[in-house]
Amino acid sequence: MTIKLNVINLPKDDYKGGPSSLCPGCGHDQISNVIVTSAWENGLDPKRIVKMSGIGCSSKTPAYFLSQSHGFNTVHGRMPSVTTGAAMNNKDMTFLAVSGDGDSASIGIGQLIHAIRRNLDMVYILENNGVYGLTKGQYSATADIGSKKKKGTTNETQPIDLCALAVNLGCTFVARSFSGAKKQLTSLMKAAISHKGFSLIDIISPCVTFNNNDESMRSYGYVKEHDVELHAVDYIPSFSPMEEVEIPAGAYRDIELHDGSMVRLETISEEHDPFNAVAALAAMHNAEREKKHVTGLLYFDPGKPSAAEDQNLVDTPLSQLKEEQMRPSKESLDEILAGFRGL
Amino acid sequence: MDNIINDFTLNIATANGTGSQSANLILLQTISDMGVNVSGKNLFPSNISGLPTWYIIRASDAGYQAPGNRTHIQVLMNKATWEADIEACEPGTVIIYNTDVKLPVERDDCLVLPVPMTKMARGIHPKLARMIANIIYVGVLAHLLNLDDDAILSALNKQFKGKQKAIELNSTALALGRDFAAENFGEERGPYRVEAREIEEGSFMIEGNEAIALGAIYGGITTLAWYPITPSSSVAEGIIDWLPKLRHDEDGKTTCAVIQAEDELSAVGMIIGTGFAGGRGMTATSGPGISLMSEFIGLAYFAEIPCVVWDVNRTGPSTGLPTRTQQGDLSMLYEASHGDTQFPVLIPGNMEECFEFSWRAFDIAERLQTLVFGFSDLDLGMNKWKCSGFTYPDTPMDRGKVLHTQKEIDAIENHGRYRDVDGDGICYRTLPGSGIDPILYRGTGKDEDGTYSEKPEIYHANMERLKRKIDNSRTWLPQPILREEVELEIGIIYYGSMENMIQEIDDILESTGMKVSQCRIRSLPLSPIAEKFVRDHETTIILEVNRDGQMYGILRKELPIELVPRVHSCAFSDGMPPRAIIYAKKIMDVLRKVGATTEVLA
Repeated sequence: MTIKLNVINLPKDDYKGGPSSLCPGCGHDQISNVIVTSAWENGLDPKRIVKMSGIGCSSKTPAYFLSQSHGFNTVHGRMPSVTTGAAMNNKDMTFLAVSGDGDSASIGIGQLIHAIRRNLDMVYILENNGVYGLTKGQYSATADIGSKKKKGTTNETQPIDLCALAVNLGCTFVARSFSGAKKQLTSLMKAAISHKGFSLIDIISPCVTFNNNDESMRSYGYVKEHDVELHAVDYIPSFSPMEEVEIPAGAYRDIELHDGSMVRLETISEEHDPFNAVAALAAMHNAEREKKHVTGLLYFDPGKPSAAEDQNLVDTPLSQLKEEQMRPSKESLDEILAGFRGL
Repeated sequence: MDNIINDFTLNIATANGTGSQSANLILLQTISDMGVNVSGKNLFPSNISGLPTWYIIRASDAGYQAPGNRTHIQVLMNKATWEADIEACEPGTVIIYNTDVKLPVERDDCLVLPVPMTKMARGIHPKLARMIANIIYVGVLAHLLNLDDDAILSALNKQFKGKQKAIELNSTALALGRDFAAENFGEERGPYRVEAREIEEGSFMIEGNEAIALGAIYGGITTLAWYPITPSSSVAEGIIDWLPKLRHDEDGKTTCAVIQAEDELSAVGMIIGTGFAGGRGMTATSGPGISLMSEFIGLAYFAEIPCVVWDVNRTGPSTGLPTRTQQGDLSMLYEASHGDTQFPVLIPGNMEECFEFSWRAFDIAERLQTLVFGFSDLDLGMNKWKCSGFTYPDTPMDRGKVLHTQKEIDAIENHGRYRDVDGDGICYRTLPGSGIDPILYRGTGKDEDGTYSEKPEIYHANMERLKRKIDNSRTWLPQPILREEVELEIGIIYYGSMENMIQEIDDILESTGMKVSQCRIRSLPLSPIAEKFVRDHETTIILEVNRDGQMYGILRKELPIELVPRVHSCAFSDGMPPRAIIYAKKIMDVLRKVGATTEVLA
C-alpha cells in the first residue's frame, strides 16, 4: 500500500495529534481533523507551525493535532497577546490559534479586538458553542436569546456576533462555518492559513453535552435545518493541487492571497462582494433576523500590512539574532557616555 | 554670620504645567557642573496643569542625596500652597517670593525677599510671562548663591538645546533676575553660597529609568511590550528613543519590536510569547500593573518562560499616590501570582546598577527560565542622580539551556522538557521552529516530558524542583554590599533607593556615638551573605520605605529560626522621598525598645 504524501513529501499522519479527551461526538474534534487536513494539504511544514490556545474545551484541542509543532496552551482569554509576542520573534512561522466563545467573547474580548486591530498574522479558530463546557454548562456571551439550558433558565441577554464585530474592526479575513461542514470549513481554513494577516473563522461547533436542545441556535438539529451557505470556497494552492478540485457550477471569483495562491469563491448569494464590509454586515444582520446562520467568507481585505510588517523588523527572525546583532558595540556606549558628560 | 557653603536645601513651590521644571533643572545642572554634590527631587502631582509641585534641591559637601531635614531657602510661586508653604518655614529661612501673586508674607523671623517676577517677565515677553517668571527666580538665586555665570549659561543652553529663541529669552530673564537681586539684596542675601569644587571626572546626572532603558538595549531586548503608567513610562519611552541609534540597521530595520499594549495583562502576555519563541522580552510597569499581570506571571513561573518585568514602584495601595515613591511592592513581586511561586528580584540602588541589572536581567531570566523582576521606585526612576558612567557588559550573553539540534538532544539521556538531568533544577528547552522535541507548553500540571498530568507525586516533585531552581540562584545573583564596623553590634539592612541616604543616617547615628554596619541587599532570594551579616551582628535593623516591613517579613521567613529574634523592622512611608532624620529617629526608637541603646537623638 502506498502512503499518500503531500507537496513536501509528508504523510498526513505527520500532522496528527494525540487522542482527544473531549466528549464523544464533540464538534471540536471535527475541527481538529479539518486543521490536520488543511495543514497537510497546504503543504505546511509542521515544524514551522505554532499552535496557540487559551483556556476551555476548545483550547485543549491543540494537544489533538499537529504533535510535531510547538504550542502554547496559555491563560483564559489572553492567548492573542502571547501569540503577538511569539509572532514578533518568529515572523515567518504560521500561527494556528484555537479559542472558544468564553475566551473570545468574554474574558478575552479585548485581546481579540486588539489583535485584529494590529492585523496580527494568525489564524484565529473560534470554536463557538454558546456555552461554558468545562465549568459544566453556563451561558457564554454568544448564546442566543431564548436559548434554554438543559436545566434552569432561558438566556435573555443579547449575544455578541464576533464576525460582525470583526468586520467593523477592519479584520482582514472574516469567515463563518459549521463544524459539520467539512468541505466548506477545510476550504476556509486553507484560505485563512494562506492569508497574511488576521483571519477569524467563527465555527459553530455544537456542544453535545450542554447546549444541544433543539431550541438552541447552536444545536445540531437547529443548525442543520437553518444553515445557509453564503459561499462555497474552494482553495487552489499555487503548487500542484493535492486533489482534483471540484469546480462548482454557477458564478465564481478568484481572489489572490499573499502567498500567490488563489482562493475561488462560488457565490451562492450572487450579490455578495467579500470586499464590501457593508454587504457582509447586511448579510449577517439579514440572516440573524431570519434566525439563520450565514456561512462562508464574509469579508476579505488583503491590502493591509500585518503587525510584524508594521514593525519593520530585520529579515532574520528576532529569536534567531546573533549576539552582535542584539548588543550594540562598546564604542556606541562610549559615545553615549561622552554625550552625557557634555564632551 | 558666617556663610554656609554647599550645605542647604532649597524648596521651590510652583504650580504644575507652568514650565518651572526647566528652571529647576537649570539650577540643578549648574550646581552639579560646579562640581558640588547635589540632588533634585521633583514632587509632582497626578495632573497635567494647575496642581501644586515642589522641587527640592539639596547641595551637600558631605555627599548627602536625600532632601535635608529642613528647608533653608524657600521660593514661593504658587498661590494655592502659599500659606502652608510659609507656615512650614523654620525661623531663619530665606524666603524669595513673587510679589505679583499679591499675597502677603508676614514672617519677621525669616529673611523675606520680594521680587516682582511676573512683571519683570512681562517686560521681556508678555505672552510667555508665566513661564519666564521661573527663570527670574533662577537669576535671583544665581546672585544669592553665587552661582558661576558660565556654568549657569551652559546649563541653560543644555536645557533649551537648539532652540535659539528660548535661549535668548531665558538668558535675558536670567540677567534681569540677577541684576534685580544684586541691586535690591546687596547686603541682606542670606548665608547660603555655592562654592565650586573639583569636578569629578566623567560623572553626569541621569534618571534611573533612562539607565534601565539603555541597559535593556545593551541586554539584547528583542521585544518591548508596555502600557503607560507613572512612574515607569519613561523606561519604555527611553528604549523607544534610543532604538533608532542603537538597534536599527542602515535601512531603518529594527532588531527590537515595540508594542504599546492594550493593558498590562497584554503587555506581559506579549513578553511571555517572546520568551517562548526564544527572544528577549521586557515590560516596565508599576504596582497596579503587576497586580493586573499576576495571573500571567504565574504562567511564566510554572511553564518556565524567561522574560523581564521592571516595577518602578509608586505609592500604593490601589491608585494610591501615583506620583510619589515607595518600596511597597517588594513582597508582592517576590511571591507574585496564586499558588506557590518565587521570583528573582533585582534591586538596584544607584544609576550604575540600574544599567547593569537591566542588561543582566535577561541573562538571569534565560539561565533560570523564569520571569525576573527588576525593582526600582519613583525616586530612583524619575529623579536625576549622579552617575559615574555605565560599564559595558563584561560577559557574553547567557542564553541558558537551549537545545538547537537533534544531536544535542540525543546526547542527553532520556531528555524531557521538565526533566532535571543536571541536578540544578534547570531543564533543557527547545524553541518553536527548531523542529526538535516539540512541546505544547501549558499552565496545567504536567510530567517531566510536558504531558498533562494530575498525579500527586509528579506535581509535588515538579514544585520541589522549581523551588530548588530558584534557591540555587541565591549565591550568584547580585550579592549584598557590606560596610562593616569592627564592633559588629548593630547592623542595618536596607535596599534600593535608600542607598542615597544611608550615609546621612550613618552620620546622624554616629553623632550619638553609635557605630553601625550596613548591608545593602541587591537581589532576592536572600543571599547567604545577608544571613551571615545578621549572624555576625547582635542586633540588625531592616530599614525600608513601606508600612509593614516587607523585607523584614521575607527575612523572618528565610532566616534560620535562631536568628529571627535578632532582626527588627524599621519601616516608614509617607510617599515623600525618604529623609534621613526621620529614619534615624525611628532606628533609635527601635534600638531603645529592644535595649540596644539608651541614647536619644537631639
